[in-house]
Amino acid sequence: MSNAGLAQFQQVFIEESLEGLDTMESSLLALDEGGDGELVHTIFRAAHSIKGGAATFGFPEMSSFTHEAESLLDEVRSGKRAIDGAIIELLLRTVDCLRGMFARAQAGEPLNDAVAEGLRSELAAAMGRGVPAASVQARRTADQADAWIIRFRPHASMLAGGNEPLRLIRELAGLGELEVTASLDQLPSFGVLEPTECHLGWTIELKGPVKRADITAVFDWVEGECDLEIEAKHVVAEVAPTPVAAPAAVPAPNVADAGAARAQREASTESSSVRVSIDKIDGLINLVGELVITQSMLDTFREGDIDASRLAILEQGLAQLARHTRELQESVMGIRMLPIASVFNRFPRMVRDISQKLGKQVKLELIGEQTELDKTVLEKIGDPMVHLVRNAIDHGLETPDKRRASGKGDTGTLTLQASHRGGSIVVEVSDDGAGLNRDAIVAKAVQRGLIASGEGMSDEAVADLIFQPGFSTAAVTTDLSGRGVGMDVVRRNVGDLGGTVTIRSTQGKGSVFTITLPLTLAIIDGLTAAVGDERYIVPLVSIVESVQLKAEAVRSVAGGGELFRFRGEYLPVVRLHEAFHCENAIHAIDEGLMVVVEGDGARVGLFVDGLIGQQQAVVKSLEANYRRVQGVSGATILADGSVALIVDIAGLVRMQGRRKAA
Amino acid sequence: MGSKTTGGGKGGVRVIALPADFRLGSVADVKAELIEAFDAPGSQLDGAGVERVDTAALQLLVAFRREAAARGQSPVWLGVSDVMREAAGVLGLAQVLELPAAMPA
Amino acid sequence: MAKILAVDDSASMRGMVAFTLRNAGHDVSEAENGQLALDAAKGGSFDLVLADVNMPVMDGISMVRELRTLPAYKGVPILMLTTESHTDKKMEGKAAGATGWLVKPFDPEQLLATVKRVLG
Repeated sequence: MSNAGLAQFQQVFIEESLEGLDTMESSLLALDEGGDGELVHTIFRAAHSIKGGAATFGFPEMSSFTHEAESLLDEVRSGKRAIDGAIIELLLRTVDCLRGMFARAQAGEPLNDAVAEGLRSELAAAMGRGVPAASVQARRTADQADAWIIRFRPHASMLAGGNEPLRLIRELAGLGELEVTASLDQLPSFGVLEPTECHLGWTIELKGPVKRADITAVFDWVEGECDLEIEAKHVVAEVAPTPVAAPAAVPAPNVADAGAARAQREASTESSSVRVSIDKIDGLINLVGELVITQSMLDTFREGDIDASRLAILEQGLAQLARHTRELQESVMGIRMLPIASVFNRFPRMVRDISQKLGKQVKLELIGEQTELDKTVLEKIGDPMVHLVRNAIDHGLETPDKRRASGKGDTGTLTLQASHRGGSIVVEVSDDGAGLNRDAIVAKAVQRGLIASGEGMSDEAVADLIFQPGFSTAAVTTDLSGRGVGMDVVRRNVGDLGGTVTIRSTQGKGSVFTITLPLTLAIIDGLTAAVGDERYIVPLVSIVESVQLKAEAVRSVAGGGELFRFRGEYLPVVRLHEAFHCENAIHAIDEGLMVVVEGDGARVGLFVDGLIGQQQAVVKSLEANYRRVQGVSGATILADGSVALIVDIAGLVRMQGRRKAA
Repeated sequence: MGSKTTGGGKGGVRVIALPADFRLGSVADVKAELIEAFDAPGSQLDGAGVERVDTAALQLLVAFRREAAARGQSPVWLGVSDVMREAAGVLGLAQVLELPAAMPA
Repeated sequence: MAKILAVDDSASMRGMVAFTLRNAGHDVSEAENGQLALDAAKGGSFDLVLADVNMPVMDGISMVRELRTLPAYKGVPILMLTTESHTDKKMEGKAAGATGWLVKPFDPEQLLATVKRVLG
């Protein structure tokens, strides 16, 4: 503490920390009695605050000690380690020990004692490693030159994030003499220039004996927000035994350099990473080993003639190759898979807060937390789930009085359940509350002009109305669910992930919302449809049924659309050959096939020539390779090497809706 | 910030006074004003009152001068504050902005 | 002198930041979570926002995301005060719109140096 005035905050910190330790203790005890996962977060946050403050307020011993406990808690929090009696006991002793340290701090005595040292070793041992030696640091190769060329091009959005090229270049000027050349080649003309975006680039020559790390430090905040190349112009030979003039793009041994190199590689994509367990990597290495063996086995057939006696071996080799390829595909996909626990863990606290606010008693059950999802799906599934959970507590579950009146226990149950089902992930949000009120929904839908009347509508179709844009069932909009976000947004968000949301509800018994998601976004199961000379992939999840219709089953309606009757509903027809302008396609309804698909909450009939077969399609982004095309979500390569487009059902349904509206 | 037309009548030269806080928050407004300058036969930029300036602001001026040149106009600098001059220097834009030489103090 | 908003649920940490910056002549407002900070930001204008990551009610990352939706806070430097020297957390903040970060623990000198760096 360099400033005497700061001493007052030291005392505040000690008081805060003692409170934090009390919280840690009571939470640990509750956890021991089978409390929920949110307790771990509470404990973690308390430990985290103590660690952060301890070093700032001049107690480094306490900081490094707490760090061990925090690392352990972090593993528990992220689901990598199950918490057990032994860990709880160890953490409780840690709390006691920290209290002792704070007492000594207030008395002005040395903080560390034998107990603390012993405990620190125990914590480290629990983490499966020895006490880290304080002085061990990665040896860094000096990378120094007496002149550098820095090419710096901010991405358009960098200015909005508060990073100002002026500041960065001024900082560089603090390192040595600069020669700055601005490049205007990417600057749009005045009329179309979006003035808050950055379209300038700079080449900066920096003269002076400067370390590469000092340059990358200037740019540390803009990693991923700019393209950056740092190239040594003159290398100081004796301190840089590495190749002369190595551009920054080559991964260099020190951390800052690697960061700069990554900033360049990941020019326009959001940087993110996945932590992979060693087991998964070992599994991959094994598979690659087997693949190599199979390959060498097949290689023997290259040396000329394949005589019939060896055909069996060839067949066996090809079968192995197919198996290994499939396994390799699964394993590589598996790398992106993470347990849903990280999303589920947000809920205990949220449920408690909301239910308290609404005066409801809710028991939250989490099932299948270890179910693994694709990382991208995982990151995006949180918001829709938050909405469903809020909705369930707000609209689904009743107050204790109402529950008693309908013969139920005071406490409602909310269940979040994740599981694998076939090639999909199913996440269910269910409650044992009041269920949907058919009459109320119908009345509201009529009032909103969504339907003319509820007559003849199945309960399923009525329940589905809540997913229509602008629909809200609550008589009074509460500040919880009524935030202008409706179930339609939930359905759209899930639809964007290639999934579906459905609801099953029994009045008086409760509701179940079921989110079905693909295992991965990189591969989809689809049916290949022929339309004239073209092939299209229709995602299997969106297909309801395919039917052959008689010509008279399809009726033209005013305004140019066509409708056909399917299970008591009239569905619009989307002729794929019209939507995508295909030539030589079948036009007569009775000669082609109507594929009933569902997307964005609506069903339509896709009219195609016929279906060729089912296949897995590796999704290639059309946007990345060409541009965004309406009604198409991507492309794939068929077995014969030709390209097939993947139909974006939700997009097509929306196009259809617009046409109808027009 | 504001602009006025001098010389009387339609054929006058437009003077654009750049704002004191000429940064991300004001570039859109300034752009709107600069667009109008193309309608006048000539324009003068007054940067004497600029106290704070950033990359977005200078980038806007670069794009403006390029556009003016393409239309055969050459906007004249009425004044340039030290802050602007320094920032343009740091960003290597002093030349392309054709900033007038600094007045001796 | 700049107008700075210091956001941290820890009174000691917030106090230390505010005290240090006021001593250096800045005009400092304090908020103890993201939601209160948002309210303060909407009610005034700041040249710089310093925010903790882990906070109750609204965490620092959500706060940055919300702040960046306000036109007046486009381009305003926002620094995360984080103990996570881990890249993921920093990148999460950056993705939300943060300008940069200051890794805890820091002492008053480091704080002032960083503030000077970002305010120029």
